[in-house]
Amino acid sequence: MSTLVEQAIAAAGLEDVLLERRAGDLRTIDANRLAASDLLVLGALADRVRAEEVGSVVRVLTSPPLGGAGVVTFPAAEEKVPCLDLLRAVAMARLTGPRSVTVRVDFGQSGLEIAQIALNFGANELMGPIVSKSGAAFAAGALAGVGKKSRLELASALKRREIEGFIHLAGRVPVFVDAEPRAPTEGRPTAQDGRP
Amino acid sequence: MIDAVAAKIESGHRLSFDDGLALFRHPDVVAVGQLANRVRERLHGNRTFFNRNLRIEVTNVCVASCLFCSFAKLEEGMPGAHTMSLEEAWKELENRQDDPPSEIHIVNGLHPKLPFQYYEDLLSGLKRRAPTVHLKCFTAVEIHFFAELFGMTVRTVLERLKAAGLDSLPGGGAEIFHPQVRSRIARGKATADEWLEVHRVAHALGMPTNATMLYGHVETFEHRVDHLLRLRDLQDRSGGFLAFIPLAFHPDGNGMRNLPAPTAVDSLRTVAVARLLLDNVPHIKAYWVSMTPEVAQMALRFGADDIDGTVVHETIYRSAGSRSPGAMSVGELVRLVREAGRVPIERDTVYNVVREYGAAQAPEADFKVRDRQNPRHLRTVS
Repeated sequence: MSTLVEQAIAAAGLEDVLLERRAGDLRTIDANRLAASDLLVLGALADRVRAEEVGSVVRVLTSPPLGGAGVVTFPAAEEKVPCLDLLRAVAMARLTGPRSVTVRVDFGQSGLEIAQIALNFGANELMGPIVSKSGAAFAAGALAGVGKKSRLELASALKRREIEGFIHLAGRVPVFVDAEPRAPTEGRPTAQDGRP
Repeated sequence: MIDAVAAKIESGHRLSFDDGLALFRHPDVVAVGQLANRVRERLHGNRTFFNRNLRIEVTNVCVASCLFCSFAKLEEGMPGAHTMSLEEAWKELENRQDDPPSEIHIVNGLHPKLPFQYYEDLLSGLKRRAPTVHLKCFTAVEIHFFAELFGMTVRTVLERLKAAGLDSLPGGGAEIFHPQVRSRIARGKATADEWLEVHRVAHALGMPTNATMLYGHVETFEHRVDHLLRLRDLQDRSGGFLAFIPLAFHPDGNGMRNLPAPTAVDSLRTVAVARLLLDNVPHIKAYWVSMTPEVAQMALRFGADDIDGTVVHETIYRSAGSRSPGAMSVGELVRLVREAGRVPIERDTVYNVVREYGAAQAPEADFKVRDRQNPRHLRTVS
């Protein structure tokens, strides 16, 4: 963590949260104090806790899971939540929830943009259908390509690569889970280069 | 690295090309945002600006063939080509009598046959109907095109349009300045130097302008930093830029349709780096049409202090597949700003305050209380 972020967390009076979580004493974490904190400081702190407790893997569930203990999902189904509220809720869940809790964002509800940002605010799992930008399912066998000279591939595969790409750009490792309990297929981590 | 950049900013030292590049490559986008937010709050506190504006695109007929454009049609008569009569354009303003805009923003294709008189009459007709409305019209690319087409200098074009009612220039047409990119995506229209020269002349005539950058297509981070520093350099010399507006590339229906659009995190990072590099440009705008209202709202905590305006009738981004609504009410803009924990300020084009709305009674705090009492956003699957 950079000094800049450490200073911001200290200035917000939140440096003890990390220590309390490491000690496993979650009762002493003051949720009210966290809730009143600057959103970006809260996000930075939640991201640090996420890195320590659950690591860099981001599971992407492409179909609704059968269940699972220790998972908190945002947003609640069919609920329209302002994006800043959603990000704050994600960070709060990471900071006040049980150790190593799975914080999941349903990008079918929130949209991919907000889900991507939430990866920097403590989220470690994404869930949602692989569909077109308009939300329509891809026709069977529909092809697409990136760039004029690229070969065409299945549009759904291209969409998966788009999701995989932004997870890589966040410095994380994507793992797609198509239908539980099938074994996951792990994406390849890549170094971030000069291309956005 | 980011600590060194932070130290530079704290000590009042200007950021370099390498600093800009490092900020674009820094893995922690939230840290970059924090730094930009610090600068933004130092400049503007919680104040966040918007205006009541009206977009009119009088013609989409355009002789240029920019790869990124889904709006232009090469010739009159082609499917989808349109050119408004002057009466139709003026009618757009007359239709807004119940909610009069403080600004009219006009951007067009480069029409090869419309006479210069058409543009002068367009402006003077709008001014006759609304003498106090601010006319922010014609990108530098259009001004340069008029100069070439009608055999005038840029200065003469601007002076004649100013006499007809033009108040300022929008920032469009900048795309990416670097010739490696510009020659690929925006061939046949004003070069970077020509774009910058139009703005320099406008500033010399006392006409404020904005600046943009189209990001997220084939350019690299190096090209973005180069673009921002060229703007900073001109601003040092002429001082007329009011706001910088990063424009997200949208791929639908254009010559780069197979490229993905830039991600939300890329948009936030670009806003933040712009705030940090452009230390002499007063305002950074999160244009909600370009980046969606949700991401624009988030950008208000990543360095942006302006969210543009009500817009109404924007068609350029909608042609390229933007899912943003075509217009937003003042109430919606105020809500967006308040939800971000900022104070909405309605402004005119040159940032005079029209109305201060004040902070919300409970902006994000509304969530905090609600959540503590009843965690309605939380759904536990177990």
